[in-house]
Amino acid sequence: MRLPVGVKAAIFTLIVMGLYTYFANSIPQIESRPPQELSLEGGNVTPAQLVKAGEEIFKTKGTCEVCHRIGQKGTRAPDLAGIGGRAGTRKPGTSGKAYLIESLVNPNAYVVEGYPPIMPAVDRPPIGLNRSEVWALTAYLQSLGGTVDVTLADIPATVGAGGAAGGPTAAEVKLPGDPKAGKAVFTGKGGCMACHKAGDVPGTPVGPDLSQIARIQTPDYIMRKILDPKGMGTVSGYPAGVMPQTFGQTLTAKEYTDLVAFLLTLK
Amino acid sequence: MNAGRVARRRAGWGLALVAVAVLVTAVLVGVAPAQTQAPAQEPAYRQFPVLGSRLAVWAVAQLHLNFAAFILGCPIFAVIIEIVGWRLRDERYDWLAHEFVKLTFAAFSTTALLGALLLFLFVGYYPRFWSYMTGIFYPTYWVYALLFFAETFIVYLWYYGWDWLAGPRKWIHVSLGVLSNLVGTAILFVANAWVTFMVSPGGVDEAGRVTSLWAAINNFTWMPINIHRLIANIVFGGTIAAAYAAFRFLSARTDEERARYDWMGYVGNFVALSAFIVLPFAGYWLGFEIYQFNQTMGITMMGGFMSWLWIVQAILIGVLFLGSNYYLWLGMERIPGSERYRKFMPPMLLVLTVGFLIWATPRSMVVTFEEARAMGGTHHPFLGVFGVMSAKNTVVNLMILTTFLSWVLYRRANRVSTKPWVRTGMAVQWVVFALAAAAVVAIGVLGYYVESGVRVLRLSPLQVLVVLIAIVVVMAIDIPMFRGARSTGAIRWGTIAPRSQYVLILLAVTFTWLMGLMGFARSGIRQHWHVYGLLRDTSPDAVTPALGYAANVITVVTIVFFALVAFIFWLGGLAERGRAEAAGHAAPAIAGGREG
Repeated sequence: MRLPVGVKAAIFTLIVMGLYTYFANSIPQIESRPPQELSLEGGNVTPAQLVKAGEEIFKTKGTCEVCHRIGQKGTRAPDLAGIGGRAGTRKPGTSGKAYLIESLVNPNAYVVEGYPPIMPAVDRPPIGLNRSEVWALTAYLQSLGGTVDVTLADIPATVGAGGAAGGPTAAEVKLPGDPKAGKAVFTGKGGCMACHKAGDVPGTPVGPDLSQIARIQTPDYIMRKILDPKGMGTVSGYPAGVMPQTFGQTLTAKEYTDLVAFLLTLK
Repeated sequence: MNAGRVARRRAGWGLALVAVAVLVTAVLVGVAPAQTQAPAQEPAYRQFPVLGSRLAVWAVAQLHLNFAAFILGCPIFAVIIEIVGWRLRDERYDWLAHEFVKLTFAAFSTTALLGALLLFLFVGYYPRFWSYMTGIFYPTYWVYALLFFAETFIVYLWYYGWDWLAGPRKWIHVSLGVLSNLVGTAILFVANAWVTFMVSPGGVDEAGRVTSLWAAINNFTWMPINIHRLIANIVFGGTIAAAYAAFRFLSARTDEERARYDWMGYVGNFVALSAFIVLPFAGYWLGFEIYQFNQTMGITMMGGFMSWLWIVQAILIGVLFLGSNYYLWLGMERIPGSERYRKFMPPMLLVLTVGFLIWATPRSMVVTFEEARAMGGTHHPFLGVFGVMSAKNTVVNLMILTTFLSWVLYRRANRVSTKPWVRTGMAVQWVVFALAAAAVVAIGVLGYYVESGVRVLRLSPLQVLVVLIAIVVVMAIDIPMFRGARSTGAIRWGTIAPRSQYVLILLAVTFTWLMGLMGFARSGIRQHWHVYGLLRDTSPDAVTPALGYAANVITVVTIVFFALVAFIFWLGGLAERGRAEAAGHAAPAIAGGREG
């Protein structure tokens, strides 16, 4: 049977578009989600938590990583390895943290020689970090070769005005992690369920039951334990040296934050 | 029923539809300032049933854009063809110009209706956004409405006055065609001001209040988008018209009909290809301006979550390059004397294929964790070298040069120059090609050793300049060299292989799909902003979807577009049946005619 030209043309058209669609669905699928607000105002947050939150902001909402590398010279922006240590020497009479804060909210005030003045103020749209986020980001930058001593009071009140509105209050610490995604890390890539039970997630009793871990341990402990299980010691009654030391390398910052967020729901 | 009465009735319906669309615009424009005065009473968003608001706006906007591109692009080359026919006193061109305008004409009211539908969606489902845009661009709405009226009446006069303004009054008719294109371009520029403001806002203070309407219009990406869309519209119009001709060719029952539509397809493709060659340059300028506006946006576009989009784009453009060249090579088989140029096809195919592969090479490979560890990262030690802009810009320029060479060979396929300096002329042309290719490669290699700023601001434009100079020099020699050339035989229109017509359809489908993809890119780089940095998208749809989802939407919209186009052309054909002959537009014989 001879197909009409219109049918043949339609089939040909559908095949062509089908191939394009198939290819577009076969490559990495990356969504761009609106960044979450982080509020630490009035919160009792440890430097380690602050640094971790700052690292997440560095890689996501802050979009810093788009131009800055750590330990690798870039053509658009300076290498930030050791910035925490050398920040205090950049401008005479300016402390390290003051220099870092100025670099974030008024980046053109001092531009490193050899680089174009292209950095946007991080507390202005479209990045629009709030005061808490600038604080965490400064802490993270300080942690790169320096001592973390920045406090919320060091961040000018004018920074990210209104950025904390609607955010959490009191002593609640909110990390920019997604508990649902963290649960997937727990049961999937992290392989945690091979040794731990966690609420409704079944697991073998090789390691402690984590069903109430957020009630009996601090967020700081949980975060450090994942990254350095040996250094944090082994729970009595369980074999030592079983938990991998490599989560710091195998998990991405997002996966790590998501995993922590999930564990913090286990109360 | 008399065919003329049918056509007049259609025209009446068309006018009525356009008038309704413009009237609705005017009414809504009047209502909008009142909305801005009482924003608290308005919800920021409403939810479109089932599909969701974003998908509804996306689909209708893309459909509107496709139709608008066609009705703006097609008349540009229709009037050029009409002028050619007028000056050469060649009826074939006049008939062809009329055919193209007929296609445009049929799509006119659908474009206006889709525009009105898009407006309804914005007003109804994104009232806060629309109020904000209206607060800034309110005066331009009137300009847009008036231009639309002008365009409507001029195009109607152009189309219906084809016979009335023939003969000594032809210059008036041609002027109407030129005028309709100027007005159409002005409409495009006005609408582009709104769209580009959303991407790269200007003329407003930090709170989003307008400080200068002209600065809001003349924002960073306005003129690059104007130029890019203008050229792309010509390509689009050309590919759609060529696909229409291909369909008519494949359905033809007589040799004469086949010859006519073979020629029409060739002209449509020729116009599309001519504009397509310069399109990457306009795209580069647009990308450059995005970087100038906001580095973060530029880097997010090229190296962030959208980076894979450019691989898909490379594949689509690679298909367009390969398809266009293949069509030319198939077309040469119906030209006596073209045999002497067959030997150039394999090396040209090689350059195009290698260029295609390099352009489509991603910087970061899709690999497993173990593979990445073995490679020392996601950048392949060898292929990774081809995944950067230096390599891609180089091959794009080489592909443009190759396509230009294809066309030059096609142009001279049945001609033998009689000029005494022909050997020298041809030698100089080959030297120019070789020098241009060598310079493009050398500049590309140099690009690996300089900072990105130097590469972007100096080397890439230099590559473009080299190619453009080569094109100008080769043509400056070619035109006088083949003036008064001896013919080796007339083109045997209608004898081209039928598979060539599927290539024309492939080009139209691919370019339409590419337009959808670029629409997603332009909109997606705003991420979670309606107006970048000023008006945040706080709706449930604020997530910018992944490429797979976007591809699904683009495909569905493209299918709907082609279905509508087929239906409209069929309707147009019904109304026109028998009328052309009655009105003196009998299709001229093409087979064995003069070389085109």
